[in-house]
Amino acid sequence: MSTVDLDKVWKIYPRGNVIGVKDLTFTIKDKEFVAILGPSGGGKSSTLRMLAGLEEISRGEIRFDGQVVNAMGPAERNIALAFESYALYQRLSVYENIAFPLRARRMKSAAVHEKVMTVSKLLDLTDLLKKFPPSLAGGQQQRVSLARAFVRQPNLTLLDEPISHMDQRVRAEIRARIRHLHDEMKNTTVYVTHDQAEAVSLCDRLVIINKAELQQTGTVEEIWNRPANRFVAYFVGEPSMNFITARAQNDVRLSVGAPPNARSLRFEGSLPQGYVGRDVTLGLRPQQLKVHRGLQELNALPGIVRVVDFLGETSVLTISLEAQAGLELKSVVAATERYTVGEKVWLTADPKAIHVFDGEAVILTR
Amino acid sequence: MAEVTLENVTKLYGRKRAVNGINLTCKEGQFLSIFGPTGAGKSTILKMIAGIEPISSGRILFNGKAVNDLPPQERNVSMAFETYNLYPHMSVYDNIAFPLRAPRWGLKLTAKEERRRVEEIATFLGIGELLERLPQHLSGGQKQRVSLSRALVRKPEVYLLDEPIAHLDARLKFSTQSLLKEFASTYRSTIIYVTHDYREALALSDRILVLRKGVIEQEGSPEEIYYSPVSDFVGRLIGEPPMNLIDGVVVEKDGTTLFTVGTSIVLPVRDSLLPSLRKSMQGNGNRLTRLGIRCEHIRLSREKGSAAAFSLPVYAIVHEAESSIVTFELENTFFFARTRQEAGFADYRVTEKLWLDFDQDSMFFFPKTIELSEKA
Repeated sequence: MSTVDLDKVWKIYPRGNVIGVKDLTFTIKDKEFVAILGPSGGGKSSTLRMLAGLEEISRGEIRFDGQVVNAMGPAERNIALAFESYALYQRLSVYENIAFPLRARRMKSAAVHEKVMTVSKLLDLTDLLKKFPPSLAGGQQQRVSLARAFVRQPNLTLLDEPISHMDQRVRAEIRARIRHLHDEMKNTTVYVTHDQAEAVSLCDRLVIINKAELQQTGTVEEIWNRPANRFVAYFVGEPSMNFITARAQNDVRLSVGAPPNARSLRFEGSLPQGYVGRDVTLGLRPQQLKVHRGLQELNALPGIVRVVDFLGETSVLTISLEAQAGLELKSVVAATERYTVGEKVWLTADPKAIHVFDGEAVILTR
Repeated sequence: MAEVTLENVTKLYGRKRAVNGINLTCKEGQFLSIFGPTGAGKSTILKMIAGIEPISSGRILFNGKAVNDLPPQERNVSMAFETYNLYPHMSVYDNIAFPLRAPRWGLKLTAKEERRRVEEIATFLGIGELLERLPQHLSGGQKQRVSLSRALVRKPEVYLLDEPIAHLDARLKFSTQSLLKEFASTYRSTIIYVTHDYREALALSDRILVLRKGVIEQEGSPEEIYYSPVSDFVGRLIGEPPMNLIDGVVVEKDGTTLFTVGTSIVLPVRDSLLPSLRKSMQGNGNRLTRLGIRCEHIRLSREKGSAAAFSLPVYAIVHEAESSIVTFELENTFFFARTRQEAGFADYRVTEKLWLDFDQDSMFFFPKTIELSEKA
């Protein structure tokens, strides 16, 4: 359990002079559960490998509790790792797999036994301790891999996409177990993933990396309500945020579409100076775009339902806007509303839920 | 396009019945999904319809005419597989155009018309920019969309799609799913679609056939499958988290029927549920049953809301965009409850005891037909 600081960290691969990570600065607090989230090839794996001590840091410093660890290997840094591919020792029993990191540190057998039993109980593995990995189902192997990572209290526990490929039936359970383990063992945990749903579900705070650079750090709520730029707005949330070209009419209204079909939407907050009369991008989350069957107000956006994706509790509607030909928006509604394809609907948005972008930059957010 | 019918179709591999007496009809213009876990026999059914896999017994009919003895090329079907099967030496354009050029279909398109069709479907699926590339330079998700474009570029009797978007990332899967649905309704296509992903099955299909070990477990509209699962097996396949299944004992006390789990849950069962409760106990000669309820149908609160409410400590809390999933542990199985922000998002804490109230309108009783924990 440590506080981990990354201070202006760079990774430059000498071959082809490729920049893996650029000037990365953020802090992981003691006992915090942080996700490093980003698309493949964006720099999150380089960050993970530098944190673990598996890769050299080109520039900058990584500190554990204030102490620079740049020159230390994984063992010296006292790190526990769990990978997507479980990487279990096939010829050791489940018990010995879990005990391995403790034995490697020359812990006495009695103490090893106590630790192994504690973590096995938390992960419901006590009946499997004598088995060998090849005879276990995928979810069981994953639990063994997690047990090995959580059996001792390292300075930092790194989880690299450990569950994103698992079956939906097992995934919910494993998520709950990981979160429970983290809370119970009071570890500092970093979860590296490209899956925003996974990051959102487990972590206290997100660190979003794209194109080798830090995009934003914040709690799920902060990132949901106040994305730092258009990339973050797009990347976090499913279905993705709707983006619409709009014109700033005045300080409180944006107009969408060309006359005579144009409609205006009111927003809360104020745009920076000089935007009135200019084109901007309006961002609306599908969860915050409300659908109505009758005309609610003069400025509701009329549209036609094109696709209804029934998902059980909710349905996702794809709606083509009358105001702007070719533009389709998505909205999440309760499935019990039973919208049908071809139905005419009206859309409104809470003035507080409107995001406005100028290119990549955010110029208005909650 | 065709109506496809299977009559009592069986597939034996040695002594193993991979598919056992399947009857199904996919009407012209219908989107039918075959949905189930790995190894249920889904792909085998699709391959038998295509003619790639011979059938052991039964009949397959296109528009009422048996096609059992026709080789694949004479059945006029179009397939996309989970493995992309692209021609590695051909550009994306040529891969997609390939079925248009096959002499068998006698399309004899002009170069201009061919290009129009290839570009139309490729643009539709978001790979319009990749036409000149070779497959080796594409990501898995891109290859899969090329494979899907190739299957959709021509109009056959039936489209047979086997997990055609399984390798797309979550975001792309979502948008491609809507596109596929738009394609199906625009062209009134007959599509038989194999998937293990409940989201695809629910969102895309007109009808779903749930397959279990080569046998149809349930057949119906997505709404029927979701709102009225016939078994714990079907309930468990749908939702993330999946439907909660809780094993308990039925106790009669003072004229009230109670569902109990030790002393943790003592739930008076509403009269309207008694027939299904009795049915679920049949055959096991004792008082055991299994309760099914989805996470969105459990109300949580810090105060006891009704006489039927019971309390448990919170095991873990994980989040979704606008809600949280609160997990509880009961005799080594988990169950989940979803809270909504609109309903007043409370910051519940781990280990805190909460009151749970089951919505009995959305509750089921099933005979036990699956194991709750993985067996090695």
